Amino acid sequence: MGSYLLKRLGQSVLTVFLTISTVFVLIRLAPGDPAAAYAGPLATTEDLARIRAAFGLDRSVVEQYLLFLKGILTGDLGTSYSFRSPALDVVLERLPFTITLALAAILITTVVAVPLGVWMARRADTTRELGANVVTIAGQSMPDFWSGIMLLTVFAVLVPVLPASGFATWGGLVLPAVTVAILQIALISRLVRSEMAKNLTAPYLTVARSRGVSERALVWRYAMTNSSIPVVTALGTRFASMLNGVVVVEVVFAWPGVGSLVVRALETRDYPLIQATVLVTAALAVTVQLLVDLAYPLLDPRVRLGKKVSA
Amino acid sequence: MSTTHPGPARVRRSEPRPSAVTAKHLARAKVTRQRRGSRLKLWAGLVCTLLVVIPVALARVLPLPGPDQQDLASRRLAPLVDGHLFGTDQLGRDLLSRVLHGGQVSLLVGLLAVVVSGVIGVVLGASAGYFGGWVDTVVSRLLEAQLSLPLLMMLLLVVALFGPSIPVITFVIAIAQWPEVARLTRSLVLVEREKPYVAAARVLGLHRFAILLRHVLPNVVKQASLVVLLLLAQAVLLESALSYLGAGPQRPFATWGRIISDGQDYITTSWWMVTLPGLVIVALVVGVNLLGDGLRDRARRRKVSTP
Repeated sequence: MGSYLLKRLGQSVLTVFLTISTVFVLIRLAPGDPAAAYAGPLATTEDLARIRAAFGLDRSVVEQYLLFLKGILTGDLGTSYSFRSPALDVVLERLPFTITLALAAILITTVVAVPLGVWMARRADTTRELGANVVTIAGQSMPDFWSGIMLLTVFAVLVPVLPASGFATWGGLVLPAVTVAILQIALISRLVRSEMAKNLTAPYLTVARSRGVSERALVWRYAMTNSSIPVVTALGTRFASMLNGVVVVEVVFAWPGVGSLVVRALETRDYPLIQATVLVTAALAVTVQLLVDLAYPLLDPRVRLGKKVSA
Repeated sequence: MSTTHPGPARVRRSEPRPSAVTAKHLARAKVTRQRRGSRLKLWAGLVCTLLVVIPVALARVLPLPGPDQQDLASRRLAPLVDGHLFGTDQLGRDLLSRVLHGGQVSLLVGLLAVVVSGVIGVVLGASAGYFGGWVDTVVSRLLEAQLSLPLLMMLLLVVALFGPSIPVITFVIAIAQWPEVARLTRSLVLVEREKPYVAAARVLGLHRFAILLRHVLPNVVKQASLVVLLLLAQAVLLESALSYLGAGPQRPFATWGRIISDGQDYITTSWWMVTLPGLVIVALVVGVNLLGDGLRDRARRRKVSTP
């Protein structure tokens, strides 16, 4: 257990390190000068040189990289060019909004997708299941920016019951969360369906049924417990990828999260801000993955951490 | 006396043997329902896909105004007005023509991306599965790492870096998609390499690469190719998301995501500029997904019936 945890922690740190290093190199390869973007079109060469010196961009890339690594250890990720405040603070200020959105979306997904998947599994290969199947396919076929704009038009413009953008009230959370959830519901409910269909026809379920276990317990206690590992893994992975920024949906709804922050930072070539965002979100996503892995033994007592499951 | 006895000789051959199973039962049987379901999916998918693909392919031939032909006198005309089936946009360009021409780029990028990601995925997945050892370790780590990467962020970064040209965007989408193919191929090859014919080929002294290329891969490719349609659907969606964010191909024509983001500002007054291009994307992607799903169902059933 202890050594497994250490190994996984090491892997997580390595993943974050490689990610952030890749991003560091990539943004410096990119054309476009942050000093020019910062100073505007009227800046003189001397202005640009002064700004570059102030940003530390006149140093060599290796030197910048080492300074950056040192910054990670001391918690100083530089000053954002466009916000003129510490980049880490800017990201941490936005992070709760993305976490709120991701939590709301994953909650909606779980509440809708799991019962839907179970319903589909119990009616496997009937006409009604085919109908539900087509609906989930439609759900995973809609571009999220489009379904977002459509929801926005219907519920904020035509029938103004919900705010269109931003996060002033809790009502503002509904439309973005539903938009994110549509795709996830489609994917997760199909997974639940296939896992449950496998378990509902398993011999152990027939045995349990012959012992007089109620149908509800058969589905929710017997089959669901055995389907939970793949489902929880998928939910965790989805949640982790949402923390990496639900970029498109945040842009559509002007949601003040890290996703829309990244788009802005990329446009203004705000190096410290891009780096801080990637560092924070990658670290969070890796942590969620790790927590999901650690939860396996709780879901299935056969699992011993660090060993392959022989199910 | 003997003539009234219904002997076995009097039962005609053409009559079905008496059975408790009626035609009604057969029609309700699980296998029949499954087959009906997958056939329905295949047909519906084919219709939806062709409904989009044929007009897109014929965009240049159809009697439409050019996609960039502006007519400021007929700005934001509603659909069906003045012969504009999809209406016009804020610059008086024919929306249908824009959607069809943009669709050529979207589809081209999608198809190329599937080919590239398929090749990368099959090569890496097959070598990881067949050779094992450090090759497997490296590929598996890469697969895991990509799961925890901020994918869309990286894609935007690469497009910002190399410019939004068609090859760059194709490559970027392929990079996003190869793990799926690689994971599938790897697991299929892992099963395949334990089969006796591989051992036989090894005994015959064939080179490892020859066994993998000429014997293992042909047995795997058919199953692996089932994901192609699902990948195409994802590629089209990803391309539209990138172009919505302004990182899509700019030339020769604006693609679907870009058309929608252009129309977004006019959503309250001109609903069609966002709704109709979106519906075209949905129709295509639903169609491709249904086709892929139907094919997969059918393949799964075949596998069950002929072990």
